[in-house]
Amino acid sequence: MSPRNRILGYVRGATASRPRVPHPGRFDGRFLAGDDRPPMERFAEQFTASGGEVERFVDTEAAVRWLGEFTRGYESVTVGVTVPGRLRPALPSTCPDLAPLGVSAAVAAVAETGSLVLDARDGRRTQLLAPTHVVFVREQDIHETLVGAMVTLQPDLPSAVGLHSGPSKSADIGQILVRGVHGPGRIVAAVIGEAGPV
Amino acid sequence: MSERSRPSDYGAESARIVRDDPGMRTSITGAVRSKHEKRQAAWAEIDAEAWRDWARDVKTHVLTHLDRYLPQAEDALLRNGVKVHWAETAAQACDVVTRIAADHGARRVVKAKSMLTEEIGLNESLERAGLEVRETDLGEYIIQLLDEPPSHIVGPSLHRSLEDCRRLFHDRFGTPLDASPETLAATARRILRDDFLQADMGVSGANFLAADTGTIALIENEGNIRISTSIPPVHVAVVGIEKLVPKFEDLAGLIQLTARSATGQAIGNYVSLIQGPRRPGERDGPDEVHVVFVDNGRTRLLADEHAWEVLRCVRCGACLNSCPVYRQTGGHAYGWAYSGPIGAILAPGILGLEAAMPLPFASSLCGACAEVCPVRIPIPELLVYWRERAVEEGLTPTVDGVAMKVWAALAEHPGAFGVASDVVGALPLEGAGRKLPVLRGWMGERAAPVPSPERFLNTSSRKEEGT
Amino acid sequence: MPYSDAASARLSDERGGDAPRSPTRVAFFATCLADRFFADACADAVRILEHLGVAVDVPDGQTCCGQPAYNAGHRAEATRMARQTAKAFAAADHVVLPSGSCAGMIRSFYPSLLRAAKSGAPGLAPRAHELSSFLVHELGVLGPDWRDHEGDPPRIGAGLEGVGVVYHHGCHALRELGVHDEPVALLRACGADVVPWGGDTECCGFGGLFSTKFPEVSSGMADRKLDALPPDIDFVTSADGGCLLQLSGRARHLAREDGAQAPSASPTPRTSNPAPGFVHLATLLRRGLGA
Repeated sequence: MSPRNRILGYVRGATASRPRVPHPGRFDGRFLAGDDRPPMERFAEQFTASGGEVERFVDTEAAVRWLGEFTRGYESVTVGVTVPGRLRPALPSTCPDLAPLGVSAAVAAVAETGSLVLDARDGRRTQLLAPTHVVFVREQDIHETLVGAMVTLQPDLPSAVGLHSGPSKSADIGQILVRGVHGPGRIVAAVIGEAGPV
Repeated sequence: MSERSRPSDYGAESARIVRDDPGMRTSITGAVRSKHEKRQAAWAEIDAEAWRDWARDVKTHVLTHLDRYLPQAEDALLRNGVKVHWAETAAQACDVVTRIAADHGARRVVKAKSMLTEEIGLNESLERAGLEVRETDLGEYIIQLLDEPPSHIVGPSLHRSLEDCRRLFHDRFGTPLDASPETLAATARRILRDDFLQADMGVSGANFLAADTGTIALIENEGNIRISTSIPPVHVAVVGIEKLVPKFEDLAGLIQLTARSATGQAIGNYVSLIQGPRRPGERDGPDEVHVVFVDNGRTRLLADEHAWEVLRCVRCGACLNSCPVYRQTGGHAYGWAYSGPIGAILAPGILGLEAAMPLPFASSLCGACAEVCPVRIPIPELLVYWRERAVEEGLTPTVDGVAMKVWAALAEHPGAFGVASDVVGALPLEGAGRKLPVLRGWMGERAAPVPSPERFLNTSSRKEEGT
Repeated sequence: MPYSDAASARLSDERGGDAPRSPTRVAFFATCLADRFFADACADAVRILEHLGVAVDVPDGQTCCGQPAYNAGHRAEATRMARQTAKAFAAADHVVLPSGSCAGMIRSFYPSLLRAAKSGAPGLAPRAHELSSFLVHELGVLGPDWRDHEGDPPRIGAGLEGVGVVYHHGCHALRELGVHDEPVALLRACGADVVPWGGDTECCGFGGLFSTKFPEVSSGMADRKLDALPPDIDFVTSADGGCLLQLSGRARHLAREDGAQAPSASPTPRTSNPAPGFVHLATLLRRGLGA
């Protein structure tokens, strides 16, 4: 008998005599204090509390202008596949492992956890290897809860989803916080307010 | 590989650390207290009892239906193009991973932190097969350089101070002895970046695995897990069979609960939700993803009438952070991968009760752990359960059993019990205590208790006679 | 004396009208450890109850609640001792103990140990009470709204005016019985200054036989508590004699060591001052009530 069948056999034997307990239903994750603020505000508060930065733009025009300023001083960039043309910096493109800056597009964000939802289809290396990471997301794609975001994602999952909720950090060196080992030490959530494709 | 202690060494190891290594206690206590306080603050914001009830019920549901969910998970994984393997023992699991590496001609492996891989001894196994294994979590990297076992489930190097790290990096990489933490981190980042890019295979564990979508969920703050599972061409996930959750959406609650319990965060800064290998049209990701389902004593635990509840554990480490016994020594004294309260109740199932001794006894049963467990594992009750099993199986000193029978016999005869208690009061405890089998343990560290000149029950019965 | 009259008066108010009748007679379970090492505290506890108008029986058949056996995994022996204890107290409507550990043992574990009890009489568990819990909840000495005035409870005595104490919360009283505010409120209600103590709810390291099996770890746990003691307090007190033996035993040992040897290399300071006194809660409350 294969290990698989033996293990499943043991599991069947073990569960046979124990009363089965029903699923408790969807997680409702209640907080003690209600929060009526719009998702954008709650997202910004969580994301910055974790060490991330938030820039807010009323429309794509404003984001493009900001991007031009922001990328001054960078010599090259790696850009995610799904980042629209207007938001691709006017810099030479280079390998993700050499670029000082990465620019990605998030498919969604989550307010209660301060998370950006990144899709493998945009390109994982771009999301992970450059020391500075800019992520564009639409304000309308900010979900209130993580469970709500996940229910929306489920029908069309890529090979991997990454929830990025702040810069890379570690306190493993003597309990002192350091950033940027190993993911980006600086992450900017660039939130665009207008409806329609980014 | 340096000599590692085993659970049976707990008595001697704990004594040695408390006596000879006061720095260890200070480091551990400072680190866990901070984690515990953050956990308390994070739980104070939420409807804690409701969250814990939900988490307990989700995990209990999946464990009582594991016969259904495991095959369901396998189907989902296979549909996603993931290769699925099964291993009954630690040795089998190591063989599977070694074979996958050999099949790909892999030479260099990068590891994301995984307690299960510690449990099964994977690194040693791969190294024996001639592979170069690099831990990429900063804390795991540090203890790999030091050739030490992990001291804590979440923070493996928390027993090591900044000074220790400075000295280590100076010796290995020539950084200055007063290098800042940022410099040390940048050094590690640079070295490990090369390893990530050159690696043939990435190995991870799994925090959870959703049975409906086959999603492997991993929580971290550094990003090394995302990188290890994205860049090398092969990703192998080693997954305990108890890691299953019923549905993709259930991951939301468990991820948040685990993060709040482990570090006090709303969520880890990086969460990976992995469905399988790179898909057509995606520009990167591994070409192959493997899942190795590992038993290694879990089915035996699942069959145990009482101990099966330990399988709800989400490996948050909150019990370690609240434990007044753990903080005296850190994890090394426990002699295996999992320390603290969870280590003590898991060991008899994974290692067998005899090999796990005396861990179930290495607790004062204070109950602080049960107060913080997010999935409501009744840890003190399970410690007592394993103690009962140890007594039944003759694993405790004979003199303890004899003493207990004598005590019980006396207790059933109040007159004789009273006489015995009078005798205790008359003994020169300070002197004789050092020779008596049980009291000897007391006397080395504490002054003998001073008996009252007359027992209360003697005086109260005399008083009644007099009235 | 005026304040103890106030406590009695509150009891009378409690007994009137629709309020449930307070107990008028209890059995006292000394517990083997307190009987041998805290005989005065046992006498003090009885005296407090009598002072508050409760008649106290001390049944002969009492010996040991069985907790050390139970915690060490000797379930059969624990069951024998539980049977003996249940038999000794079978006739009592209320049983009061000067021990959170023993009360916790009875309330938490006797139901499963004595599942086979045939008599049909209510088990011992719901009838057993730790002393401070009994005073506050069954006798109502602080009145019904005492939690609203937790920091400044209604006065029931003046005997602890000017006395500074720290309270050690024994693990079983705290986590098995849920007793936390009661003893502190009672001390304050007698005029005591209950001083904040970092780690006051952390385990002292006694744990019964744990203290002898792993003495270094156990003592380390005691050190953590002793090192955090605030200066200039008169007493360390607790509802548990085992904890007091552990803490006082360690404190006296350190005091001896510091006198006889060079200081250890430990970076943490050691409490070597033999003061404060380590005293059972019952002894302080008797003084506080003027009983």
